[in-house]
Amino acid sequence: MMSTVLAMAAKDLRLLVRDRGGLFFTLAFPFLVAIFFGSIFSGGSGEPRQLQILVVDEDGSEGSSLFVESLDRSEALSVELSSRVEAVEQVRRGKSVAYVALLPGFGASLSHPFAGSPPRAELGVDPARGAEAGILQGLLTQFAAERLQDAFGDPSGLQENARSGLQAIELSGATGPQAEGLKRLLTEVDRFATTQDTADGQEPRSGGQGGGFKLEPIRIEKASIIVAKNGPPNAYAISFPQGILWGILGCTAAFGLSLVSERTSGTLVRLQSAPIGRGQILLGKALACFFACSVVSVALVIFGTLAFGLAPSSWGKVAVAIACAAMAFSGIMMFLATLGKTERAVSGVAWASLLIMAMLGGGMIPLFVMPGWMQTLSNISPVKWSILAMEGALWRGFGWDEMLLPCVVLLLVGSVGLLLGTKLFRWPNA
Amino acid sequence: MIRLAGLTKKFGERFAVRSLDLDVPRGEVFGLLGPNGAGKTTTLSLMMGLLEPDAGVVDIAESGPPTDVGVRRKMGLAPQALALYQELTGRENLRFFGRIQGLSGTQLDERVDHGLEFVGLTPRANDLVAQYSGGMQRRLNLAAAILHEPQVLLLDEPTVGVDPQSRNHIFDNIEALKAQGRTIVYSTHYMEEAERLCDRVGILDQGELLALGGVNELIEAHGGLGVLTITTEAGEVRSIETENPVIALADWNRSELETVRSFEMERPGLERVFLNLTGRTLRDT
Ligand SMILES: Nc1ncnc2c1ncn2[C@@H]1O[C@H](COP(=O)(O)OP(=O)(O)OP(=O)(O)O)[C@@H](O)[C@H]1O
Ligand SMILES: [Mg+2]
Repeated sequence: MMSTVLAMAAKDLRLLVRDRGGLFFTLAFPFLVAIFFGSIFSGGSGEPRQLQILVVDEDGSEGSSLFVESLDRSEALSVELSSRVEAVEQVRRGKSVAYVALLPGFGASLSHPFAGSPPRAELGVDPARGAEAGILQGLLTQFAAERLQDAFGDPSGLQENARSGLQAIELSGATGPQAEGLKRLLTEVDRFATTQDTADGQEPRSGGQGGGFKLEPIRIEKASIIVAKNGPPNAYAISFPQGILWGILGCTAAFGLSLVSERTSGTLVRLQSAPIGRGQILLGKALACFFACSVVSVALVIFGTLAFGLAPSSWGKVAVAIACAAMAFSGIMMFLATLGKTERAVSGVAWASLLIMAMLGGGMIPLFVMPGWMQTLSNISPVKWSILAMEGALWRGFGWDEMLLPCVVLLLVGSVGLLLGTKLFRWPNA
Repeated sequence: MIRLAGLTKKFGERFAVRSLDLDVPRGEVFGLLGPNGAGKTTTLSLMMGLLEPDAGVVDIAESGPPTDVGVRRKMGLAPQALALYQELTGRENLRFFGRIQGLSGTQLDERVDHGLEFVGLTPRANDLVAQYSGGMQRRLNLAAAILHEPQVLLLDEPTVGVDPQSRNHIFDNIEALKAQGRTIVYSTHYMEEAERLCDRVGILDQGELLALGGVNELIEAHGGLGVLTITTEAGEVRSIETENPVIALADWNRSELETVRSFEMERPGLERVFLNLTGRTLRDT
């Protein structure tokens, strides 16, 4: 009997695809919402914004504070000093994008590029901000490399560096091609620094020939951070869930209307005269609506991920959120279809109710912009719970326990809608 | 095959069908005749189990009421209101309706092809129904009712609004279905269709069955006398009700001065049966 229900759903989806007007509301408009509002609020996409980071100076040496200063001078960064505990907490709670901790010994290692290990820094970045993490890592390497360059620009410092480096290698008794290569380089550097005129500093090489030796300007260790609650990574993280909701609303209206038109066009009579139950007829319609809602939502999430930097923190939760929202609105669709006799009447009632749900639930104006009393009021709108579940899965980093409330609300709404819709449905002639 | 007993359906205070008793034996083509609003569609809906009767029973093939899914499997309905998806092609419509009848695979393919061929729509199978003429839609509406080869076929005014060509096609279809031994209930307000196709007819008016029987039987019982219409040389028209037109014409010749230019004899038909039973003609109710 499932095959009957599937046949009904397949027929409805085919009809939906053939309906240009319907397709606009179920597909084109949601994409427009997602892209249009996202691009309006994401600010000029051309010039890069300053990346706000927290810096923890655990070294406290002259070298490390010079490094912090050079970070601060950079156009790309805005730096604030902080304690480690505070910094970790800020990033974890989404208040800050990242922190950089300069580990003890940072300054010394930085000014002795050939001795011991490279300067070590710890980087803690909000996992949802992968792009920024990359940029930050690049910037840190760049600054450390510049400090290295400065060292080469100062002949006496360079000579001292080279000698202490040579000493360190001999003391450690290291052998092998890499140690030999380094020794050769340092000897060269020593000779170069001795004969160097003070006026013209020459560009250093970052690596020596032979032995595959490489200088590592900075060693960055990444701290793993579990984000509790964070703000949206960008405007698209707000606009895509909104777009998805508009897609779901479009499907809800389209299928509510198609259910009514089964009655007005007489096809319902034929369905009823087939050897299938009334429940199956309605279930087929609900299922078709569920499919359509899911397909549109998944398409938007994938599109947003590929093209607009949406980075779902959990695909499993995204799937659950979409399924729950689709279920809720399939139920709402069934109920709305009982609210009028003709397509025109149902279309009016359905869009009026759906638009109010969207307005209250953050489908038009994002929830966080609303005043407190309105956010409370928004709890009555299934749109709010759908957006919450979607955002929870996309970037709020909800755990399953936090997903539970919106999902249960949505499933309840869906069940009640389905139940009322089935009970109140006007069969022809009855 | 179809048995109705004391069948009654009211909408509000108005009886749409009132204490209807009827037996349609296997293989019969039964005509349900009546003017607009007589209760034909309501009767067929009750037969199909689409409506719950207020009183009485419907029994199909002695297997129970059609509200039973298993019983409905033996039945096909071509509704009066076209029941087709305008934005699907003819073939897509039939494939869908075949599926919900439980057909699948090659059987579905075969039945759909056969259905299209049967009603002569194979060349237009892949056009959207929205692009079909009224007559073509009627034919598809019929094809959709016979996909699952039902024993009992209910056709609600299968020829309304079609051109004579489609109408003849549908007549041929019904005769073919009859030859296959199917039991057919055919509702119409065209008497000549009933005279051509039906073994028996029931005349329905305001929800009540006024007369029931073979076409000739009813005409004999309720048709009254034939009507002889004479047009004189002067252009006057006279109508004489008579059992024997030859004698009536001879009488006229003997007694009247005016010469006969032409005459016409009309045998009573179902139209007159209806007029005599209700005092109204079929078309002006
Ligand atoms: N759903 C309904 N609600 C109220 N009254 C109805 C309903 N369906 C039919 N009726 C009434 O029942 C009566 C019989 O209607 P029905 O449709 O059975 O007539 P019909 O013989 O099929 O007429 P037609 O030749 O116009 O199709 C009419 O008076 C009609 O107004
Ligand atoms: Mg009718």
